[in-house]
Amino acid sequence: MNAAVRPPVPGSLSQAAFEQRLRDAVMDAAPMLNSRLLPVSVRSAALNRALAAGLPQLRDDLWRYADLKFLGSAPWAPSPTAQDPTRWQGAAAAVLPQREAGFERLVFVNGRHAPELSDAIPAFDASVSPLVPERTRHERFGWLNDAFATDLVRLAVEGERRLEIVFVSTAIDAPQAVHPRLELLLRPGASLTLLERHVGGAGHASLINSATQLHLGSGAHCQHLREQSLSLESQLLDTLQVALDSNAEYALTLLQLGTRSLRSSQRLSLYGAGAGARIHGTAVSQGSRTLDHSLLVDHVAPRTTSQQVLRGIARDRSRIAWRSRVEVAATAHNASSQQSLKGLLGGAGAEVDLRPQLEIHTDQVRASHGATTGALDENMRFYLLSRGLDPDTARGLLEWSFLEDAVSLVGDPALRRLAERSLVAALGSSVAGEAVQ
Amino acid sequence: MTSLLSIQNLHARIGDREVLRGIDLEVPAGEVHAIMGPNGSGKSSLSNVLGGKPGYEVTSGSVSYRGRDLLALAPEERAREGLFLGFQYPVEIPGVNNTYLLRAALNASRRHRSQSEVDAYDFLELVRGKAKLMKMDESFLSRGVNEGFSGGEKKRNEILQMLVLEPQLAVLDETDSGLDIDALKVVADGINSLRSPERAIVLVTHYQRLLDHVAPDRVHVLARGRIVKSGGPELARELEQRGYDWLLEAEAA
Repeated sequence: MNAAVRPPVPGSLSQAAFEQRLRDAVMDAAPMLNSRLLPVSVRSAALNRALAAGLPQLRDDLWRYADLKFLGSAPWAPSPTAQDPTRWQGAAAAVLPQREAGFERLVFVNGRHAPELSDAIPAFDASVSPLVPERTRHERFGWLNDAFATDLVRLAVEGERRLEIVFVSTAIDAPQAVHPRLELLLRPGASLTLLERHVGGAGHASLINSATQLHLGSGAHCQHLREQSLSLESQLLDTLQVALDSNAEYALTLLQLGTRSLRSSQRLSLYGAGAGARIHGTAVSQGSRTLDHSLLVDHVAPRTTSQQVLRGIARDRSRIAWRSRVEVAATAHNASSQQSLKGLLGGAGAEVDLRPQLEIHTDQVRASHGATTGALDENMRFYLLSRGLDPDTARGLLEWSFLEDAVSLVGDPALRRLAERSLVAALGSSVAGEAVQ
Repeated sequence: MTSLLSIQNLHARIGDREVLRGIDLEVPAGEVHAIMGPNGSGKSSLSNVLGGKPGYEVTSGSVSYRGRDLLALAPEERAREGLFLGFQYPVEIPGVNNTYLLRAALNASRRHRSQSEVDAYDFLELVRGKAKLMKMDESFLSRGVNEGFSGGEKKRNEILQMLVLEPQLAVLDETDSGLDIDALKVVADGINSLRSPERAIVLVTHYQRLLDHVAPDRVHVLARGRIVKSGGPELARELEQRGYDWLLEAEAA
């Protein structure tokens, strides 16, 4: 296809220039790319797929709302300077969140394992095969994580485990690329409580391109709290892929609180009969930020279930997009799917784009979806004002109320408190933590 | 004596619709006044205008409360000055703890009066005591504001809030609607417990039955946005027997 008739999203960046940037980045990054973590064959195949896919196009429905202008200047190669975790340990420690009791902790700084900030547990199990899921153009930036990741978590989970993985980015003297990577394999019957956090910031004009992949074996359970509270100048591309075998249960709570520009591509694949996945996601934005999410749920096997509860609060001139697409294959008899998307507009120029989509190829299915966007309910607001609360507190409480059911999935009390605290902080009002139940 | 609440020639509208068309009302401290009237007569509009609900436009007239211009105050300032509005349809606010709201509301008023915030344990004692008075299970205190409450439970919760806030003027909009006879008694007891020489209560109601339990000093009949008749408690009983039509006809004549 002729590049000239496919205007790339970043405007100034042509398809050919993008390809050249990637090739140059490979040369720059080569000394940092450990082939023990990801074999050269995997990296090279991934790069070729990414090159073939090229830049997302404006008219591509999958990428319509993403703000990718920064790709015109963002680097792809990690910085050698930033890759020395001991050098950035101090800066990383300063933004490292308080740890949760009862969780084993692994900390990565600029994508690199930082043993001094972590518990003395392995982050990498050489006996586990690389978890490189099938990616499509929807997850195209995941390929570039495959190509450029300098380090990773790769573990198999057996029995019961509670893990906290923190990816800290720190600003260095120049724009850099950071490729955080998490691969977890849950053995059949395993039970994992996973706290995944993305904090700090890689600095002005930098790029963070994270990839997380989980594979849940038969009957495995995973409760996953994923908190993204990167600095507000951060530019994040994020790929999340989760595959479920039979009767596996996955519950994801997603807090998208930071970044200037975020694009998160998520895919949940229900391969095994009776597998169930629930996503409760919240996004909060202000200023002129853009948080774009695209979620695909594939029901492949019979009796699979999925639930999506997605909430976004956009203030000022910011924009939040959630595309949530559920596909039920002809083989997925008696599947069920529920989607609830809600947006709250907190500014005259704010925008929330909600797109629940459903594609069904079997008759035996139960599916529902709904999407609503609006401003704060005036009756609720007046009720709180009439009790003497100031307008800011009233707004904070109502926003909290709006988001509240999106954190209701978190069964673990400690994690739930953490999620609530993070949300209350992100709402940034005078709402005290005790307002929450 | 001067009135706690003094309304003069109050006109208000929502959009193009005039809902209050010249209300005059004096409520002295220490008294309970009932505002009665048929549906659509402007009863709820009057409550809402007093509370400062957005959407109502006061086109003329004045409202003085404790000698101040009530209409110049924002809704939250009215509340902190001791005005309590009991809602006909209290809203549900899931996820916001009922006790938290009570405490935030009380502290907002206390700060306004330059008092220190209430101690958390003292507050809990206070709320438990008031909840007991309202025959509300303690579990209601830890639930979301009105979340999943029945109609009657919501109304009890309104009165609970009122008892905690101890307003100087309570305007209760159809607090009796949707209550069974036991709940009505409890709500009435709650209201009566607040009666005092410094306070005034305005009961907005369609029926006389609440007035069997909370004896009013004065009864006013509202029709088409105006008070068409005022009298003592006997007026409420007369309305119960004769309905509103005779008054409306008299007004129209």
